Amino acid sequence: MTGLSRSFPGAAPRAWLSRRFNYEERSAYLLLAPLVIVLGGVAVFPVLYAFYVSLFRLKLTRPGRVPFVGLDNYADLLRDPSFWTAVGRTTYFTLVSVAAILVLGLLIALLLNQAFRGRRLVGALLLVPWAIPSVANGLMWKWIYDSGYGALNGALYQLGLIDKYVIWLGDPAKTLLLVANAFVWKEVPLAAILLLVTMKSIPADLYRAATVDGANLLQRFLHITLPSLRPGVLLVVIYESMVAVRHFDLFYLLTEGGPGDATNVAAWQIYVESFRDLSFGSGSALAYLLAIVTFALSYAAIRALGSRL
Amino acid sequence: MSKSGFGKMRRRDVLVGMGAAAMGAGARAPSVWAQAAEPLHFVTWSAAVDQVKSHLTAFEQKTGIAVDYSNSPWANYRETLVTKFVAGAPIDVLWVSDSWLPEWADAGWLQPIDQYKDLTRYNGDVTDFCNNSMSYKGRQYGLTYYSDHMAFYYVEDMLKKAGIDTPPQSWDEVTEQALKIKQAGISEYPVMLALARETWLIEFLSAMVFSQGGRFTDEQGMAAMETGCLDALKWVVDAVNVHKIVSPGCVETGELTGLKAFSSGTHAFALEPQYRMRTINDPKQSQVGGRVKQVLMPKGAKGTHATVGWMRFYGMTAQVQKDKARAENAVKLIEWFGGKADGAYAFQKLVFLDIGAGFCTKPLYRDADIIKAYSTYGDAALVEQQAGFARKKDVVTSWFGEWNEINGQVWQEAILKKATPEEALKRSAEAWNKLKKEAS
Repeated sequence: MTGLSRSFPGAAPRAWLSRRFNYEERSAYLLLAPLVIVLGGVAVFPVLYAFYVSLFRLKLTRPGRVPFVGLDNYADLLRDPSFWTAVGRTTYFTLVSVAAILVLGLLIALLLNQAFRGRRLVGALLLVPWAIPSVANGLMWKWIYDSGYGALNGALYQLGLIDKYVIWLGDPAKTLLLVANAFVWKEVPLAAILLLVTMKSIPADLYRAATVDGANLLQRFLHITLPSLRPGVLLVVIYESMVAVRHFDLFYLLTEGGPGDATNVAAWQIYVESFRDLSFGSGSALAYLLAIVTFALSYAAIRALGSRL
Repeated sequence: MSKSGFGKMRRRDVLVGMGAAAMGAGARAPSVWAQAAEPLHFVTWSAAVDQVKSHLTAFEQKTGIAVDYSNSPWANYRETLVTKFVAGAPIDVLWVSDSWLPEWADAGWLQPIDQYKDLTRYNGDVTDFCNNSMSYKGRQYGLTYYSDHMAFYYVEDMLKKAGIDTPPQSWDEVTEQALKIKQAGISEYPVMLALARETWLIEFLSAMVFSQGGRFTDEQGMAAMETGCLDALKWVVDAVNVHKIVSPGCVETGELTGLKAFSSGTHAFALEPQYRMRTINDPKQSQVGGRVKQVLMPKGAKGTHATVGWMRFYGMTAQVQKDKARAENAVKLIEWFGGKADGAYAFQKLVFLDIGAGFCTKPLYRDADIIKAYSTYGDAALVEQQAGFARKKDVVTSWFGEWNEINGQVWQEAILKKATPEEALKRSAEAWNKLKKEAS
C-alpha cells in the first residue's frame, strides 16, 4: 500500500493531512472553505486593496498620473482642519444619537415588558420606522422638515405653537440635531427589541424576592433590571455607535453637508472625496481613518460600559 | 433597443455573407466583419428617452447603422461615465455637459470633432455662446443637444397689486419692488432663490455674478472675485438678512423645490432656468400659470443683462476615432441628432416641442411651430434676446468639481452670517488658485 501510494502524485500531502488533522477536522475545514474564499474575495481583499489604493494619489479623472505617495494622504488629512471639524461633528452626532436611542429604546422595552391590552399591536407599530427603507425614511423627513410646505411647520402652526413657519434644515444651529432626530426615529425600534430580549431573560424570581424584601419599583429597576441589561446595553451602544459614525443616507438626502458645512460629517466627506471628486486615494485614506475612529469609539464603549454596568 | 431589431438581423446576415465571400477571396474580411458587426455605443443620461429612441429608430432605418443605446441617471452620470472610461467600457458617442469638457478632454477620453466638415458646417447656425461652450483649448468637441440659460420671472398681478407697473431692470429695483410687495402683505419673501448645495447652485450664482458685471476668474484663469462677484454675494446676504425679501431657507431650497415654491404663488420674483417657463405658466401644474412673465436679467450697478448659459452636446470618444469606419458612422449619428436629419433640425425641434428643452440653433427661432408653442407660455423674441446675453461659466476646468464644493459652502456661510462676504470669497478664491496650481 505504501509503495502504491508513493506512486501517485499528491499522495504525500494527503498522507500528511491525514496525520495532522482527523476526519472531523478535515470535514470542518472543507465545509468552511467556500465561506472563507467568498469572504476573502468580497471582504478581506477590498479592505486590503483600499489600503493599497490609499498609498497613491489616485484620481480617476487624471489617468496615467498615479504617483505613489506613501502615507502622505493620511498626513494631509490629519493636517486638514476640516477633517478634524468633521470628526468632531461625527462624534457629537454619534453621542447625541446613541444616548437618545438608548434612553428611548429602554423606555419602550420597559413598556413592552409589561402585560397590557394591545401590547402586540403597539409592538408591531413601533417596528414600522425600522422597516422603512433608508431612502424612503430620508425623503419622508425631508418633506416633514421642509420650511415651505413641511408637515412639522404645518402641525406646529395649527397647534398655535409657532406664529410663522420656521426654517429647519436651513438653520445651521438646528440641522445636525434634526438629522440626529430622523436617525434616532429609525434606529430606536431595533434598540428596543434588543433590550426587550435581554429583559425577558431576567429571572422573575429576582423581582419576586426583591418585592418580598420591600424593594420599590425604582429600586427593582436600578438593582435588578439595569445591571441585568448590561449585555443588551453594550450591544446597543456598540452597534448604534458604529452605525451612527458611518451614517451617510440622511446627510445625503437631507442636507448634502450643508447649510455651509454644518453637517459635513466624516461619512459625507468620504463620499465627496471619493465619488464627487473621484479622488480614490485620499478617499480611501479618509475611510481608513474613519474605521480607526469607529474602532476607538467601540473600544471606549466596551471599556466604559463593560465595568460599570 | 437595436440589439433585437429586425433590421440588425438582416444586416448581420448580409455581413456574414460578405465576410464569407471576402474570406474566400483571401481578403482581410474577418476583422472588417467583426468591426462592422459591432453596433455603435451611444450613451446619454436619462432624459428625452422616448424621443431619442424614436429618432434613433429612424436613423437605423435610414442608414443601416446599428446603435446600442443606453442611459444613466443624470444625478450620477459624470461618475458613471468616468468609471466606464477608466474601465475601457465601449462608448462611441455620448452626451456631454460643458461642465465636464475640460476634465474629459484633458483625460483623453473625448476627442475633437472639428476635423469632420459634416459636423462643423452647422456652426454658422449656432450662437457663439454655444460654439464656445463646446470648445476647449481651441478645438471643438461636439454638436448641440440642447442649451439653456437662467432667466428672471415675475408674477404680473402681484406687482400690479403692489402698485408696480414696470418690472425691475436692476437688482436695486428688485429690492425696492420686493420691499413694496412685502410691505403690502402680498408675499413674505417676494424673491425666490434656490441656493441649496446641489448641481444647480453654480448656475444660480453665475447668473447673479454675470449680471452684476462680475466673474469668478480673469483672462489668465486666476480667481477674480473682488468686484461683481462680491456685489452679487452682498446683494443676496442683504436680501436675506437685512431686507428679508429672500427666505433664509434659500440655503435648503434646491432648483426643483424652488420651482414648486414659485409655482405655488408664494413669491413674486424668481430666478429659474428658461425651460421651466413652460411648467410655471401651465395652469395645470402651477397656481400662477398664465400670470408669469419674463424680463431680462436685472443689472447690477456695473452690470448688464448678462446671464449664465449651459450647453449639453454630442461628443465622440477617443475609442471610436481609432477606427476610421466606426468614426464615420459616429459622425453620421451625431449629425442626425445634433445637426440636420433629412434637411431639418428635427431632433432639437422634437425635444423642444415635447419637453421644452431649449436650443441655440438660430433658425429654430423662426420656425412657425416653435413660435406657436412659445406663444402659449412665453415670448420667443424675449427668450432669444436673453439667450444673446448668455455667457459660458468661467469656472469650467478640470478642477471645477472640487472648487464647486468649497464655493457652495462659503456662499452659504456668508448668507448664514457665519462669514462676511469678503471672507467667504477670499476662501473661495484661495481654493481656486490652489487647485489651479495643483492641476498645472
